[in-house]
Amino acid sequence: MINFIIRKILALIPMLVVISFLIFLGVELMPGDAVDFMISPEALSTVSPAELEALRDELGLNDPFIVRYFIWLANILRGDFGYSLQSGVPVSQLMANTLPATLELTVAALLISTLLGSLLGVVSALRKGSIADNVLTVAGMIGVAIPQFLFGLVMIVVFVFNLEWLPVGGRMTPGRELFFQRLEYLVLPAVVLGLALTAGVMRYSRASMLDSLNKDYIKTARSKGLKEWRINLIHGLRVAMTPVAVLIGFRLPMLIGGAVVIEQVFQWQGVGQLFVMAVRSQNTPIIMMIAFFSVLMVLVSSILVDIVTAILDPRVKLS
Amino acid sequence: MGTRALQKKMDQILYREQHGLLKSSNKSRALRKILANKLAIIGLVLFVAITILCVFAPLFTPYQPNSIDLRNRLAPPTFGHLLGTDQIGRDIWTRILFGGRISIFVGLGSALGAALIGVSLGTYAGYRGGLLDATVMKISEIMMSFPQIILVSILVTIVGQNLWNLMYIFILTGWSSMYRMARSQMLSIREQEYIQALRAFGISKAIIAFKHMLPNAIGPIFVNITLSTAMFILQEAALSFLGLGVPLDQPTWGNILNVAQDLTILRESWWVWLPVGVAITVFVLAINFIGDGLRDAADPTLIG
Amino acid sequence: MRDDLILQVKDLSVNFYTNQRCNMALRGVSFDLRKGRTLCIVGESGCGKSVTANAIMQLLPDLSRIESGNITFKGQDGDIQIEKLPKNGKQMRKLRGEVMAMIFQDPMTALNPVFTVGFQMNEMIQAHTDLRKKAATEKSIGLLTDMGVPLPEQRVHEYPHQFSGGMRQRAMIAMAMACAPEILIADEPTTALDVTIQAQIFELMLELKETEHMAILLITHDMGVVAEMADDVAVMYMGNMVESGTVQQILNSPSHPYTIALLQSIPVLGHGKNQNLEPIRGMTPDPYHRPPGCQFAPRCDFATDICASRLPDESVFDTNHMVRCFHYEEIKRNKEIQHGKK
Repeated sequence: MINFIIRKILALIPMLVVISFLIFLGVELMPGDAVDFMISPEALSTVSPAELEALRDELGLNDPFIVRYFIWLANILRGDFGYSLQSGVPVSQLMANTLPATLELTVAALLISTLLGSLLGVVSALRKGSIADNVLTVAGMIGVAIPQFLFGLVMIVVFVFNLEWLPVGGRMTPGRELFFQRLEYLVLPAVVLGLALTAGVMRYSRASMLDSLNKDYIKTARSKGLKEWRINLIHGLRVAMTPVAVLIGFRLPMLIGGAVVIEQVFQWQGVGQLFVMAVRSQNTPIIMMIAFFSVLMVLVSSILVDIVTAILDPRVKLS
Repeated sequence: MGTRALQKKMDQILYREQHGLLKSSNKSRALRKILANKLAIIGLVLFVAITILCVFAPLFTPYQPNSIDLRNRLAPPTFGHLLGTDQIGRDIWTRILFGGRISIFVGLGSALGAALIGVSLGTYAGYRGGLLDATVMKISEIMMSFPQIILVSILVTIVGQNLWNLMYIFILTGWSSMYRMARSQMLSIREQEYIQALRAFGISKAIIAFKHMLPNAIGPIFVNITLSTAMFILQEAALSFLGLGVPLDQPTWGNILNVAQDLTILRESWWVWLPVGVAITVFVLAINFIGDGLRDAADPTLIG
Repeated sequence: MRDDLILQVKDLSVNFYTNQRCNMALRGVSFDLRKGRTLCIVGESGCGKSVTANAIMQLLPDLSRIESGNITFKGQDGDIQIEKLPKNGKQMRKLRGEVMAMIFQDPMTALNPVFTVGFQMNEMIQAHTDLRKKAATEKSIGLLTDMGVPLPEQRVHEYPHQFSGGMRQRAMIAMAMACAPEILIADEPTTALDVTIQAQIFELMLELKETEHMAILLITHDMGVVAEMADDVAVMYMGNMVESGTVQQILNSPSHPYTIALLQSIPVLGHGKNQNLEPIRGMTPDPYHRPPGCQFAPRCDFATDICASRLPDESVFDTNHMVRCFHYEEIKRNKEIQHGKK
C-alpha cells in the first residue's frame, strides 16, 4: 500500500511539471501586462516610458519566457509563490488567508452531499417506484439542472430576505469567531455548493444500489434465511459503496469549480473569490498559483480514489 | 412499490392478458421504450417548444432585445410587457427569447463541436491504439486535471471575451470527455468477432473504425451530446455571472441573470431574474430528460 | 416409502409480469421430493425449471407470483404450506437455510465478492443458531474440511475471487450444509464449471445424499447428468411437466414425444461419429404466443387435431410413470413394433 502511494506520487511529478509549464504559458499569453493594471490611466500619462520600463525590469517582466518559467518553478520549489501585482502581498500569504475559508466550505459541502446523497439514494432504491422515490428522482434531476448560483440566489431570497433566519453573506461577525458562532454563515453556501453533488451522488447511489440488489449474491443471502435489513444494508450496500466513492472522488474538481461561483454569491472570502478577482485584474502570480493548486488537488484526489477503491473492494490490487 | 400496489398491477396485467387486450406491437423496441418513458416525451416537447420560441423570437414579441425605454424602468409584468422590464427598460420576455437563441446555440454548438472532435479522435485512436492513442490520452488526462471553470476562465482572459471564443473554449475543454467515452466504446466493440472478421477480410482500419464500429456506439454518443449541451448552457450562465462570459451587450440567459447580483433587484424585482432562471432550469431539465430516455432506450439490458 | 415424503408440490402455477405482459411460466406442475432421493428436473432453458426451484424457496422476483397450487413441506411438526407464508417473514426465513438450502449456477456471482468466505458462512450459521463468532468460524472450518476444501483454516479468511471455480462451489455447498438442511436445491450447480470439476461436485452431492439422508432437487438441462445423478426424473417443456417417473422409466421407456426427441438428439459417448442424431424440428415458441393446446404439438411428429385443441391431462401407468400426452399408448405400441422388427 505504502509502496503504491509513493509510486503514485512520484508519477505525479512529471505531470505537474508539464501542467505548470502549460499554466505558465497560458498566463504568458494573456493580453497586456501587469504594469498597466498597477497604475491608473491618469497617472499613466505622467509616468515616462523609461520609468515604466524600469518598473517592468524590476518585476522581471522583461526576461525571456523560458528563463522566467524556470525562475518561477525554482521559486515555487523554495516555497516562494511570488507577490500580488497589485498589493505586493506575498501570494503565499494571500493563500494562507483564504484557503481555510475555502476548505471549510468545500469540506462542509462534501460532507453534506455525501451523507445526504447516499442516504437518499439508498432509500430511493429500497423504495423503488414509491412516491418518495419519484419525488426524490425528480428533485435530483432539478438539482442537476438548476444553475448553482441561481439556487444560491433563491435561497438568499427565501432564508435571508423573507424568513430572515440567516445572514446574507460573509463568513463571520467580528468578535464572534468560534466555529459554532460562524455556523449560521456556513449553512447556506455549503448546502448550495453541495446541491449538485448531492443530486449526482443520490442518482448514482440509487442506480448502484439497485444494480447490487439485482445481483445473484442477494438471492443467495435471501436463500440463507437472513433478515431483509441485513440483506439490503450489509450485502447490497457494501458492494454499492465502491462506485459511489469513485464518483465522489472524481466529482471533487466540480466542487472546486463550484466554490468559485458560490463564494462570489455569498461574498465568502475564499480562494475562489481571490481567483475571480485575479482573473479580472490579470494578477498573474495569483492565477498561476491557484490554477496549479487546484490541479494538485484534482490529482491528489485521483490517488485517494485509487486507495479508497482498494480498501473497499478486495478484488482490486494496488499495483 | 408496496406489495399491495404490486399485486394490483399484476392483477391488471393478468386481466388484460386473459381478455386478449395485449398485443405485441411492431414498433421498434428502442422507440417503444422512449415512448413509454413519459419524462423523455415531456422533455422533448419542452425542448422543441423553447427552441421554436427562441429561433422565431421576432414572431413572438413586438420589441427589440436591446431597445432601451428609460421611462419604463424595472416595470413589473403588465399586459404590454409580459414579464416586465429590466433596470434600463428593456423588455424581459423579449430578452429571454433572444438570449435563448445565443445560449442554446452556444450549448448545442459547443456540444456538437466537442463531439465531432472527441468522437472522431476517440474512434480512430481507440481502434488504432499505439502511440497516437497514448498521446491523445495523455493530452486528455492533462485537460481533465483542471477544474473546468478555472481552465475556462484562464482561456477566456487569454483569447478575449466574445461569443465565438467562448464556443471554441468550450469545445477545447469539452472534447476530452467525449474522446474517453468514444474510446472506451471502441475498445469494447473492437473485441467483438465481427470486427475480427472484417479485419480478416483486409478492410482498411479507417473504414472499419468509422463505418462498422462507430454506428454501434451511436447511442452513448447521443446521450453524451445531450448531457454536454446541458452542461455548456449551465457553464455559460455561470461564466456570465462571474462576468467572464459573452459580453454584456449581447443578451444571453446568463447575462440576463447576471443583474441578480444586485441585492436590491434580487429583493424587489423578481421578474428580472426568476423567469430567466426558470427558463434555463427547464431547458436543461428537458435536455436531461431526453438524455436519460435515450440512455435507457439504448441500453438493451433495461426492460422497458 | 410414504414416510419419506418431505416436500409435495401440487398444481403449481407461476406468472411473470414483466414488460407489461403476463408470462405463464409454470402451468400446473406437481411432484414429490423424498428423503434420500434425488429428483432431477430437466428441460431446455426457459421451460420453467429454475422458476420451480425459486418458487419453492419463495425467491421469485418482484413482478411474479404464485397464482395457484400448493407447496407443502412435510416436517416433523406437521405440514407447512410454503406458498401461504409471507415472502420474507420469520417462518420463511427459518425454513430457508435450516430446512432447505439452495446452491446456484455460478458460485462466482452467487457469493458476495467483498466478504470473506468465512464471513458469509458465519452469517448463515449465526442466523440460525446461537453460536458466537468464534464458534461459528470453527464450525465453518469444519464444514469446509468436510467438503474437501484444502487448508480450511486459511481459506476461511479468503475472498471468493481467491478460490478456484470448483473450490468456490464446494464453499457454496459447505455454506448450504451449515444447518444440516433436509432439502438441497441445486440450480444447475455445475454449468459454470469444467467437466472434471463437475464430476467431483456431483460425487460430493451423492455422498451428502447418502450420509445426511437428504432430499436433493437438481435442476439441469443435461441428460448425461440425469443418467448419473437422478433417482427420479421430471421432464419440463414450456411450463408444463410433460413426463415424470423413476430414472429407469424415463431413460429406458420414454413415452412423451418430447422426451423421446430429447434423448434422440443427444450423442452417446462411444457410439462413434455415425450416430443417428435427430435435432428437434422447429423452435421453442415465444412464451407470449403459446400454442393453444399441447405446448409441444407444433413440433411433434405424432400431433393430431386434438393436440392443438386442448392441453392433455396427466396419465399415470406403471405405478408412477406420468406422461402428459394424448397419444402415448400409440407411441409405446409403435416403439414395441420397431423393437420387434429389430
